[in-house]
Amino acid sequence: MKLAGRGTPLVDGVEKVSGRARFTADLVVPGMLAGEILRSPHAHAQIVRIDTSRARALPGVRAVLTGEDCNVPYGVLPIAQNEYPLARERVRFWGEPVAAVAADDEKTARAALALIQVEYRTLPAYFSAQEALKPDAVLLHDDKKGNIEREVSHDFGDLEAGFKAADLVREAEFHYAEVTHAQMEPDAALAEYDPVRNRLTLQSVTQVPYYVHLTLAQCLGMQPADIRIIKPYVGGGFGHRTECLNIEIIAALLARAARGAVRVELSREQTFVLHHGRPETDVRLKIGLKKNGEITAVDAHCIQRGGAYASYGIITILYAGALLHALYRVPAARYRGLRVYSNTPPCGPQRGHGSVDMRHAFESLLESMGKELGLDSFALRRANLISPPYRTVNDLQVNSCGLPECLDKVEQASRWKERRGKLGRGRGLGMACSHYVSGAAKTVHWTGEPAATINLRLDFDGSVTLLTGAADIGQGSSTLLAMVVAEVLEIGLERIRVVAGDSALTPKDNGAFSSRISLMAGNAALQAAQALKQQLKADVSWDEAVRDALAKGGPITTRGTFYVPPELQGGKFRGGAVGPSPAYSYAAQVVEVAVDEETGEVKVEKVWVAHDCGFAINPLAVEGQIHGAVWMGMGQALGEATRYDAPHGLPANANFLDYRFPTMAESPPIEAYIVEARDPVGPFGAKEASEASLAGFLPALTAAIEEAVGVRLQDLPATPERILAELNKPKAKARATA
Amino acid sequence: MTQRITLAVNGRSRDDVVDDALLLVDYLRDRLGLTGTKRGCDGGECGACTVLVDGEPRLSCLTLAASCEGRSVETIEAQQKEGRLSALQRAFHELLGAQCGYCTPGMVMAAEALLRRDPRPSEAQIREALSGNLCRCTGYVKIIEAVKAAASA
Amino acid sequence: MRLPDFTLARPRSLAEATELANDPRARIIAGGTDLVPNLRRGLEAPRTVVSLERLPELRKIEPYEGGLRIGACVPLARILEQAQLPAALREAAQSVGAPGHRNAGTIGGNLCLDTRCLYYNQSAEWRASHGYCLKRGGDICHVAPKGKVCRAAFSGDLAPALLALDARVEIAGPKNALGVKPLQDIYRDDGAHALTLAPGEIVAAILVPSANLRSGYAKARSRGAIDFPLAGVAMALALSRDKVKTLRVALTGTNSCPILLKGTEELVGRAADDALGSAISKLVQKQAKPLRTTIGAADYRRQVAAVLARRLLARLTHGDKQ
Repeated sequence: MKLAGRGTPLVDGVEKVSGRARFTADLVVPGMLAGEILRSPHAHAQIVRIDTSRARALPGVRAVLTGEDCNVPYGVLPIAQNEYPLARERVRFWGEPVAAVAADDEKTARAALALIQVEYRTLPAYFSAQEALKPDAVLLHDDKKGNIEREVSHDFGDLEAGFKAADLVREAEFHYAEVTHAQMEPDAALAEYDPVRNRLTLQSVTQVPYYVHLTLAQCLGMQPADIRIIKPYVGGGFGHRTECLNIEIIAALLARAARGAVRVELSREQTFVLHHGRPETDVRLKIGLKKNGEITAVDAHCIQRGGAYASYGIITILYAGALLHALYRVPAARYRGLRVYSNTPPCGPQRGHGSVDMRHAFESLLESMGKELGLDSFALRRANLISPPYRTVNDLQVNSCGLPECLDKVEQASRWKERRGKLGRGRGLGMACSHYVSGAAKTVHWTGEPAATINLRLDFDGSVTLLTGAADIGQGSSTLLAMVVAEVLEIGLERIRVVAGDSALTPKDNGAFSSRISLMAGNAALQAAQALKQQLKADVSWDEAVRDALAKGGPITTRGTFYVPPELQGGKFRGGAVGPSPAYSYAAQVVEVAVDEETGEVKVEKVWVAHDCGFAINPLAVEGQIHGAVWMGMGQALGEATRYDAPHGLPANANFLDYRFPTMAESPPIEAYIVEARDPVGPFGAKEASEASLAGFLPALTAAIEEAVGVRLQDLPATPERILAELNKPKAKARATA
Repeated sequence: MTQRITLAVNGRSRDDVVDDALLLVDYLRDRLGLTGTKRGCDGGECGACTVLVDGEPRLSCLTLAASCEGRSVETIEAQQKEGRLSALQRAFHELLGAQCGYCTPGMVMAAEALLRRDPRPSEAQIREALSGNLCRCTGYVKIIEAVKAAASA
Repeated sequence: MRLPDFTLARPRSLAEATELANDPRARIIAGGTDLVPNLRRGLEAPRTVVSLERLPELRKIEPYEGGLRIGACVPLARILEQAQLPAALREAAQSVGAPGHRNAGTIGGNLCLDTRCLYYNQSAEWRASHGYCLKRGGDICHVAPKGKVCRAAFSGDLAPALLALDARVEIAGPKNALGVKPLQDIYRDDGAHALTLAPGEIVAAILVPSANLRSGYAKARSRGAIDFPLAGVAMALALSRDKVKTLRVALTGTNSCPILLKGTEELVGRAADDALGSAISKLVQKQAKPLRTTIGAADYRRQVAAVLARRLLARLTHGDKQ
């Protein structure tokens, strides 16, 4: 291969480094209005009355909206839509939008907000799953008994026999703080309404323009054909922007009401409150092992504090169970999951969706059991490797697995055998494995359409226009798709123009989530390119081939699609749609730390990580994704945690001073190794590259901390105060002096 | 109240009347259309709005436009000269120092200030000079590589 | 988020500046790194903002009575580059924020930093929802509800260094008054009114005496940059034949004002050994009074301050051991 497999700068990289890339907040429409949102000052309250008359009377105010103006609920899952763009009757978390204003400028809009009078009757509010689950708790949603959004009960294999066959059975409890995406770009949306034609154009920070399109049509009662969604440059997402955001609907509603263009820009605090991140999670886990380290049975219980609305909750709680599988051979497993409503911002998908906290629990317990059995960390993992093709007990089909090579790579690179246990007090090495899906085999909105579609256009100028709905949000998907096409057509990348994310031009795509684009859209691009190639004369120059092909019938458009083969679509049981993927990616990593026993500070000295992405179409981008994933796992492991304080559920740290993700000063060197276990389904064998490396960091870190100072953390993040508190416990002190 | 200011922005002299309370970031973005300078936080926490004022890196979200009277302001838009990417821009592009690109203008400007003071910085100096510029995509690994490469270009 | 409207005054003389600032609704701006975020969050709504940027005399560093006189508007970035300045001061300047903050932020501004609290450094909407506090608009301290005083924490890094160095400050006041007082006199133990300066009084310069002291500053923070101190400890020390001749220790981040540790004079004459470190550590434990003003745990801040103090002594007496 000429291009695929070679590190390639992003096709839209020049715009990014030159400041010319236009993000949503950079877009200007002449005469556009400023949209501002009035938010709930309570975590849980009945809305008794809203009086907007004074705001409407303020000069310069063009529209004032409340929950009365949209009575259509939305939510990403058709079976769980219980959120309104502006609260109706009740508010369920602090900062929930209650009213919105469009005015000539921001100052007027803010002045109008101050004139809106809302009378509330407060209700008891719950900031933990345990409080919300109490029998006498007020229901957040009347149809959800016990404040339970979803209870999952999955049993696979013979659990009892599994535990009976085990030589060692251990159980442990874990707790994980809620974390959030904190993408660098604050949320924003720009809506333009054409009152003459009743048409709407929305540009926003979305990862999934298609969901936004569907949701706007639904909430505004418009024909999808009258709506156009354009994705400009997007400043990261990590899951925050997978679901249609309330501000996207609010901007559209305001634009229609004001009969013009409205831009809504959120502050950082407001962006934090939009959330949709990883929920606060409690895990109780039991594992059975044989003496040789073989897993015989797994019993996992998981409770997630989901926040005020459904969002992706059902999917998240299902992923936590489903991805207990497909990393190692697990012959029997029981999973009990509980997704709970609470008076906090709705949670949703975040990089490593559903798998991260459970993976930490699993690897941590495994590690400590390995110790009891006298097994080396690597040997323990090797005792449980999958050899493809392999079907898990919960019907996940694994056709490629490069985990063995990942283990070899990081074991050698970190000089594990020579260094583990020999670094001296205060320093330690830890390792762990993790995995992830390459796209969900089943879509949220089942239509019978392909999982991905790409169009290619060839015209007289000899350029190929690649049309895709796949949202490039910084991960480099547009570059990858262009590379696939260039590879097949044997032309230079400069011949290809990518047009991505404009519903008026590009074919529908399910968007940037669950690491689906490389494999799914990549396959569609491959097929579209092959279809185009078939129409081109071989063995002549490109220009001649183009002239010849167009002479036969004019400019050419080809289509490539990808369908997930039925055997990869998982089991038929309830909840079985979550977990199945065309391919699974694998990662192993070793983390080296230095722990200061007097201050509890942890310094991550270095990370060695190997990631099996099947085939690295663009190794440069794959490395970048691995670095970012490991580092994001580090942020969660070391310090990130949202906090909502009673009695109002106010976010304590909705800013970048107190929600502390790492700076360049203390971020470690990360050595990334690409492993390529080509998958039969992936384009050129490619699988996902941006999520699997995240989850492994957390258990590798806690294992390293344990080696360094003898403290085993089952409660994350591993803040200095938590480590110090653990060190000061008598048991730890005894270990330290021993 | 308003103030009349004269200043140079990206080498072009300007004579403007600005509100006393106008921030430099808003002046650049909203008045001059120089949207390469980004807002990422609610004030001084992320570095996305970093520009050079008289050659020194400054957070334009903490700087009053009026206090730039008589000064020279440089933004990301001034990096590209005579159609050529600067060494930093080229390195950020070619080595993937930019993923989503949102922190990139601030990163490049902070790095520019560093390289003007110290054309051959150590890795520690790079980390220190860019420590106020947050990035959520890269883990900083390739940003550091890019600055190193630009320094030796 | 735009700033609330105000009138910006840019006086060309210190006298003019003090007159303009002689108004309870006037605020002084130097680098703006502290005031501007507070304005953005609606914590302040001044009628006039008096900028000190056109006063070149405040940007000088010059010899003074054998020591140095540092103009209040000298940026932190310049402080940390001046090899003739004591190490504690340079290290403290180096630890502030990140380069963007240090190029703008000034030594005087850092000394006059507003106190910080989880219940104060929040948006207008946040504070309106939670209820205001003693520091602004309310009549209760959410951190210590039974107390009658605001417990917001002073978080400047330079103040402890300058306290340990026994610095004095020159205060310019209205009517051309110019006074010199010990640095600690500009502080009081009240988070809502941590500065004793009256309207119109401006810190014009900092006088750092010449003394042959070893000094240093150590800061606990969550990340390698940007953060305010969870706790910061400065120390200045002179030894004579391995015995303590002079010892001053000061803290920041733990109390409502920077504090010069009491009781260090009783340690004069003792050997600079581990026992001395423990003694200092104990003084820190006792006098540091961190409360729930930050996202980090209060008790941790006290513990870590004590550790930093002990290590700082070791570093100043035994070379570079951190």
